[in-house]
Amino acid sequence: MGNAFSNWFKNTFGKREMRMLMVGLDAAGKTTILYRLKLGETIITIPTIGFNVETVEYKNIKFTVWDVNGQDKIRPLWRHYCLDTEGLIFVVDSNDIERIDEAKEELRRIIEVDELKDAVLLVFANKQDLPNAISTEEMTVRLNLDSFKNRSWKIQGTNATTGAGLHEGFDWLGNQIDKR
Amino acid sequence: MSDLCCEQQKLLINLRKKKQNLLYEIQQIKDELCEVAAEMESLDFSQEDLRYSNKEKQLQLGRKKFNMTPKKGIEYLVINNLLKMNAKDIALFLYKGEGLNKTAIGDYLGEKHEFNEQVLKSFVELHDFTNLILVQALRQFLWSFRLPGEAQKIDRMMECFAQRYCQLNPDIFTNTDTCYVLSFSIIMLNTSLHNPSVKEKPSVDQFISMNRGINNGGDLSRGLLESLYESIRTEPFKIPQDDGNDLMHTFFNPDKEGWLWKQGGRYKSWKRRWFILNDNCLYYFEYTTDKEPRGIIPLENISVREIQDRNKPHCFELYASGGADFIKACKTDSEGKVVEGKHTVYRMSASTEEDKLEWIQRLKQSISHNPFYDILIQRKNKASTNR
Repeated sequence: MGNAFSNWFKNTFGKREMRMLMVGLDAAGKTTILYRLKLGETIITIPTIGFNVETVEYKNIKFTVWDVNGQDKIRPLWRHYCLDTEGLIFVVDSNDIERIDEAKEELRRIIEVDELKDAVLLVFANKQDLPNAISTEEMTVRLNLDSFKNRSWKIQGTNATTGAGLHEGFDWLGNQIDKR
Repeated sequence: MSDLCCEQQKLLINLRKKKQNLLYEIQQIKDELCEVAAEMESLDFSQEDLRYSNKEKQLQLGRKKFNMTPKKGIEYLVINNLLKMNAKDIALFLYKGEGLNKTAIGDYLGEKHEFNEQVLKSFVELHDFTNLILVQALRQFLWSFRLPGEAQKIDRMMECFAQRYCQLNPDIFTNTDTCYVLSFSIIMLNTSLHNPSVKEKPSVDQFISMNRGINNGGDLSRGLLESLYESIRTEPFKIPQDDGNDLMHTFFNPDKEGWLWKQGGRYKSWKRRWFILNDNCLYYFEYTTDKEPRGIIPLENISVREIQDRNKPHCFELYASGGADFIKACKTDSEGKVVEGKHTVYRMSASTEEDKLEWIQRLKQSISHNPFYDILIQRKNKASTNR
């Protein structure tokens, strides 16, 4: 009862927060997306040695996005971080057809992390502006997204350099936490 | 061919001849293009050679290029025989880091490319971590370049670091992987505790539970993890300082510097300014200790001449060549905003005749001329008179 009330209170008056992990092969565009999201904000950030982390406020929801990834050996570490993670952003380079299978494998390995079983999945099919980019429909097939039966997921075409598609993606994420 | 009638055969032969001719002409054009390209390149080089006649100058330019685009800087230094294109030499160059921006070093070392990874390995091998505890070794390592924020890059760098650390301190960890995962974990801890974007700061217990099982499936000692946590909590990793990212380096070792009197653009009053001539630019400052110049005059498409002034001795002036109205320049106005200069000429007064002549000579050496600029000005003038 108390919990329900506090949720109602939060939803009505407070800012909601959502913790996200952003993963994907290198050069897929993760850093560009992070900085694109911050564009136009004039917050003086104190530089810190470490991983790229950004807090993004969008439509009264505060997203904290971490760029955490690496070899299997470090997986035990970020399992811990996955505990409160509500969403997973997977970034894939739509123009790098040669590495799509590698990306698919990467996605599969992350999805299998037990602590992420409730996290929603947003796939950014990035670099849609490039000539050889494959469509989101084809990407859905190549990544075998339809096999994720018990998970809400969405694929969104993006161009991180201009920011096209990013807001649509975050709108969807926002709707997902509204449902919870 | 035998299927064709006589007429058609002739036509075919003609067509083939034409094709041959066309191919020949294409080849000729290609050859000419190559020649022109080579000529242009040699022009570029001879100009640059003139400006940076000695090795020290080239080295400086190479460092500056590196700080803007690391790969291009390395290429430039290699082409000019100032650096050998092998991982060890490049690693040493980065390790010494003289005049280099540490963010640029980090970008170069983090690049996912076989050669860059070799350089990274050699770079780490230049570090001596003997008898240092892990967190001290990390502090030393992370001071030598700015760690990039991408997880994959951090991953590669920590793996290299751990290999070197364990090689020099073989009795501390049971295997290299433990050291690598722990180092990665320390970077995560530093991010969590000190990055303002991370709201929930982990407790020491959370840090310990995060590191469960990383020691070959077993746990590391609580004491070790507690001391690591305390070390990072009380003293975050420092952002490495370097001497490559501020203007000071630009003004280091200039072609010429000294006090001159300078006449104002709109108001013809004289002000004493500290002038620095470097890299085809003339900079002036209010005080010798100022870090940022009051004005910058690119020495492009302008000329210099001696001049007599009624009020000041030993004068010379810079004037726009090629018919431009104003000299392309910028300055900081009284409110600190950067504005375009409004000078048709810059008139300066030196303290002695010798000094004046030396300024004129040095300026002449530094002025570069871009013929397209003149053409553009002429076109502009034509267009405005036609209207």
